[in-house]
Parts: sequence; C-alpha cells; structure tokens
Amino acid sequence: MQSVVHICLAGLSAGMFIWLVASGLTLIFGVLGVLNFAHGSFYMLGAYTCYTVLKYAAPDFWLGLLLGPLLVCLVGVALERFFLRSVYRLELPYQLLLTFAFVLIFDNLVKIVWGAGSLTPPDTGFLAGSVLILDRKFPAYNLFIIGVGPLVALGLWLMLEKTWWGRIIRAASSDREMAASIGVRVPALYTAVFAFGIWLGALGGGLAVPYVGLMTPGMGETIIIEAFIVAVIGGLGSLKGAFLAALVLGVLSAFGVRYFPAFDMFLTFILMATVLLWRPQGLFGAAR
Amino acid sequence: MGKKGISRRQFIKLAGAGSVVAAEALGGWSIPRGVFAATPAVKGPIKIGYQAVLSGTLAGYGEFHRMGAQLAVEEINQKGGIAGQKVEMEFRDSTLKPDDAIKNARYFVDSWGADFLGGIDSSGQALALAPVMEKLDRVLMVTHAATEKLNEEMVFQKGIRQIFRISTPTYQDGNAAAFVAKDLPATKWATVSPKYEYGFTCWKMFQDALTKLKPGVSFVGESWAPFGTTDFRSHINTILDAKPDGLYSTEWAGELISFVRQAKEAGLFEKIKHVLFPVGAATDVLEGLGKEMPDNIWISGRYFFLYPNNKTNNEFVARFRKRWNHYPAYVSETAYSTMYAFKAAVEKAGSKETKPVIQALEGMAMDFPAGHRVFRKEDHQAIYDVPWGKTKADNRFPFKVMGEQKLIPASACFNRPPFTGPGTHPPF
Repeated sequence: MQSVVHICLAGLSAGMFIWLVASGLTLIFGVLGVLNFAHGSFYMLGAYTCYTVLKYAAPDFWLGLLLGPLLVCLVGVALERFFLRSVYRLELPYQLLLTFAFVLIFDNLVKIVWGAGSLTPPDTGFLAGSVLILDRKFPAYNLFIIGVGPLVALGLWLMLEKTWWGRIIRAASSDREMAASIGVRVPALYTAVFAFGIWLGALGGGLAVPYVGLMTPGMGETIIIEAFIVAVIGGLGSLKGAFLAALVLGVLSAFGVRYFPAFDMFLTFILMATVLLWRPQGLFGAAR
Repeated sequence: MGKKGISRRQFIKLAGAGSVVAAEALGGWSIPRGVFAATPAVKGPIKIGYQAVLSGTLAGYGEFHRMGAQLAVEEINQKGGIAGQKVEMEFRDSTLKPDDAIKNARYFVDSWGADFLGGIDSSGQALALAPVMEKLDRVLMVTHAATEKLNEEMVFQKGIRQIFRISTPTYQDGNAAAFVAKDLPATKWATVSPKYEYGFTCWKMFQDALTKLKPGVSFVGESWAPFGTTDFRSHINTILDAKPDGLYSTEWAGELISFVRQAKEAGLFEKIKHVLFPVGAATDVLEGLGKEMPDNIWISGRYFFLYPNNKTNNEFVARFRKRWNHYPAYVSETAYSTMYAFKAAVEKAGSKETKPVIQALEGMAMDFPAGHRVFRKEDHQAIYDVPWGKTKADNRFPFKVMGEQKLIPASACFNRPPFTGPGTHPPF
C-alpha cells in the first residue's frame, strides 16, 4: 500500500510538472497555430535566469520565480515580434525550422553565458524538507508541485472562459479575420499570448530549479519531448486535454518504472499511438 | 619570364626541390642534431584529435577533459614539444552517440590529419569506435569509457592493437567495489544504475565478485535509469520497496548529483546504511553536492586529486588550479597523462607512425599524477591503483573528500588475460 501511494505521488508530481511546461506550448498552438519547438529552450532559460537571480540577488524562491520568467518573457516578445511574425502566413515546416534554429542558438547561448558544466542552485530553503507519508518520506516541494498544477489549470480556465480578455483570445484563435474586422488588434494580441505562453514555460523552468536540483545545458531537450507528447495526446491546442494527458502519463510512467521496467518509454509511446489511432486529433482536440 | 633557358627563379626552385629529395633519400645518413641525436627527426607538428562529451546533461565532463589536455599540451610545447616538434590539439564534442564518435574520428584522421586520438566517455561509443580505429590505423587512447569488453574483447581477442586505455576500467567499479563490500555488514544489495552497457556490466561484475567473496549475499532489487533521467523518484521507490541494506550505483556526473539529492529527500540514506558509488569521487559530483553529499558513503573513481600524496601529483594539482581555478577531475588527469604518454611513446619509438608507437606503448611503465602506470602488453590496459574512501567533511575544501581509505590494488581486482577460464577473475 505504501508503495502504491508513493508511486502515485511520484507520478502526480512528475505529471503536474510536465503539465506546467506543456500548458504554454498548448496555449501558443491553440491561439497562434504555432508549434513552438523552442519551448524547451525557454523552459531552460527560465531555469537559468532563476538560478542567476537566486545566486546573485538573493536566494529567495519567490523572487527568483518572479524575476526569472519575466526576463525570459521579454526574450519571447522579441522573438515573436521580429521573427515569428514573418512565418505565420507560411506553412508549418517554416515555423518548425525557425523555432528549431532558436533551439540551437539558445543551447549554445546558455553554454557561453553559464558554461557547459552542470550548476547546482543555491538552497532557497523553501519547502526544503520532507513529509512522512505512510512511513516513507516524500519531499514537501513535490506536494507543492502537485498543488500548483491544478491551480494553474484553474487559473487558465478562468481567464479564458470568464474574462473579457479571454473572450477576445478565444475569438481571435477561432477566426482571425473576423476578430480583426471587429477591431481586435490581432498582431498585438498574438504577441501578448505568445509572451504569456513563454512565461508559463519559463515558470516551469523556475519551478524546476528546486525540483530537479541541477541546471545543465541539455535540460530543455528531454522536457520538450515529454511536453509535446502530452500536448499531442491531449489534443493540440486543448488545455483541458493537456492537463488530463499529463496526469495520466505521469502516473502511468511511474507505475511503468516500478512494475514494467523493461518497457520504459515504450508505455508512453504506446499510449500516444493508441490515443491517436482511436482519435487522431487527440483526446480533446478539435476535429480537423 | 619570356627568356629562353632556365630563369634564376626556376633554378632556385629546382635546387630547393633537389636538395629536399636528396635529404629524404639520405635520411638514414643524416647528421644527428640536438637533443634527439639518437633518433631520426620526427615530422611535425604532432596532431592529436581529442573528443569528449561537451553537450547535454553530461557536458561538464568534456570541459574537464579539455582543461587537462590543454594544460598538458601547453606544458609540452613550452618545453620543446614531442621529439622537438610542436603539438597541435583539436577538441570536438563526442556527444554520447556512437555515430558521432565515429564521425569525429574519421574527420580527425582523414580530414585533419591526426597522428593520435584521445578521449571517449561512453562505453557504447568505445566499442563502436574500436573496429573503426583499426581501419583508420591510428592509436586511440581511451580516457574515460570503462567497459572491460574494450580491452578483453576488442584488443585481446579480436586483436585491435590501436586501442589503449589509460583510465581504470569497470574492474575498479565492479570488482574492487565487491572487495570493499565484503567487509561491510550488508547482505542484501540493490542498485539504481544507468541503463546502458556500462551500468549493466558493472552490476554484473559486482554481483559475480561479491558472491565469490561473501557467499550468502543476495541481490534484491535493481532499477535502470536511461541517460537524461532527471527524476529518479520512481527508481528510488522501487529500491526502497525491495528493502536492501546496501546500495550500489554507477550513476555518474550530473545524474549522480540529482540522484543523491532526491534519495536524500526520500530518506534513502537513513534506511540504507551502506552505499557504494564507484564513480562518486568525481570532482564535479563532489563540488556539485557540497555539503549535501552524505557522510560515510564509499566513493571511488579513476583518479582522486588527493591520492597519491606525492610531489608529482601535488604539483600537478597546483599547476591545474593555477591555470583553471579548479580542482582536477579524474578525466582531467587522464587527458593530461595521455599527452605525456604519447610524448614518451613517440620519443621512445623515434617515430609517430602507428606501429612503432604501439610497440613503444606496450609494456610502457611511467609515473603520472595518478601514480605509476604500466600499459599491459596483452590488452593495452593501464594498470594502476585508485583508492576507495568514505566521504567526510574537510575544512580545507568546500566539498566532501575521502576520509578512511581502502586501497584495493589493481593486481588484486583487475581481470587477467586470457580473461576466460580459471584464474582470470578475482579473487586470485
């Protein structure tokens, strides 16, 4: 019993963590129709800027979380304004090439600025201890992640469904021309949504600092694959789908490692293949 | 120009060409010059191609390799080079993929004209590269990749003479660990190890050796983490479920750092008192963990900067610190020593050609910062001793170091040729 509970907890925290990264990716695709390959790099940049704030300003968890993603957000704004705008009208391959180019650029930028080695962030002391659950320790920070995940999901849902701004975003994403014709400044909206999506990704990176405990230049690469899988299974563009998919995948993988170790990533891909065969648009994706 | 007959320019060109040809033809009778009077001149520059992992989660290692290699090249060139010729080194990212290692090797030899190659972190890469090195016919000095299949199968059985290894192989991680473990009270061992050749082979070796040394031990759990794992919690859960009293892990670099932190959070070190990290004495791991590294963990590596406590090593550490403001990692020492090994071999052979250098390296005994190394003739593996030690704090350093040490001599724990049959595996 203790084992099952702890596996579930480990799976939930891993799943919620992936959701946090995938949320920005899903939002950007849902509204802008852009598959942001560089999302993992923004996650990485978020983690590194957070680390820098913690190391050189103050080892305060909330300060890092406040400043880090904000700074990365600015980079995202510049990216959208000067580069992404030109490829909206073009086909998907051009967007992929552009965002992939940024993956390479950011990877090397990080190595130049912070070095190629792994960095250990300073201790913030935030939720640093462990909680005894059924006679085995579980880190308190992971419980925090399990809580933050649904909170972010709720916040996004409320924003999109219940606010005036959310309505405009939904309008612009379903019909760009119509929205423009009734006076919505679509280009500015796109920049804002892209920036917000990047902010979410960088926030994931900031939250990763105490969670993963190690910054390496390759940290964006593994997370982006998992985020993409979750976004695809959930239905590209569906936040609800991404949340559910992350939950299922997190818990499934945790059980997989424990009971079917030979299968490893296989379980994840089998899930993706099954879902896509049954519903090619993903769980909650719009049928195209 | 436009004149009939040979112009002055043409004459000088001809004379120059003629004398070079004459010099080459008369090579055997050339007048001895300078320090290398006994040997005919080696054509310079000496080009060494080095590759190590510079990207991804294990990127720090490549940097440590580079620091050691570059320091050695600078020192050697300052003192006149190898056989009076300047040493040039090119450094490339090997990544961890065998295909990239092969690509780099081909580039080094075919495009760049390397005389020697060095490096390689991943066991999988080393095995893939061995037959390629045979075709390229250049010596590769492996400085990190540890699988024993490299020296036992590739060099000894298959006869690929171009491969040498200057760093300790899995014997240090598997066999020597068993010698340490036999004296510990733990009887139920489990592992969380990397999911590739190196991880598998070490665990198997540890099990085989420990079973012989201490009958009655059992192996109750194993969990394999692929490269790039950042969340070890599921693996830690699996191990805790098995309730072992000893943990063995060949996780290395950043992954070991993550694993230790997460294991600590899960209370693993309170439940499992006897822990062995065969490559835990790596500088990047010790520095990265700082005081988070628990005490009384048995660690080892391919070199530890405080051993041996002699002039050669201490001065090397001091020079390294002065140059790079860092303590040398074990790959820094192996990269550094590789350059000096090549220097000794070329000067001994009087040539930089592969065949004479191989002959010079076989059986070569030399002192390095890590101690006295002998390159075993049969399998080209360097034999030298590295201690195991229990972690403890030391106020000279901002990280934990080896306290109580245990030296398992290489002669006691390295497999011996012919590697199959009785008397080839420890205990002897």
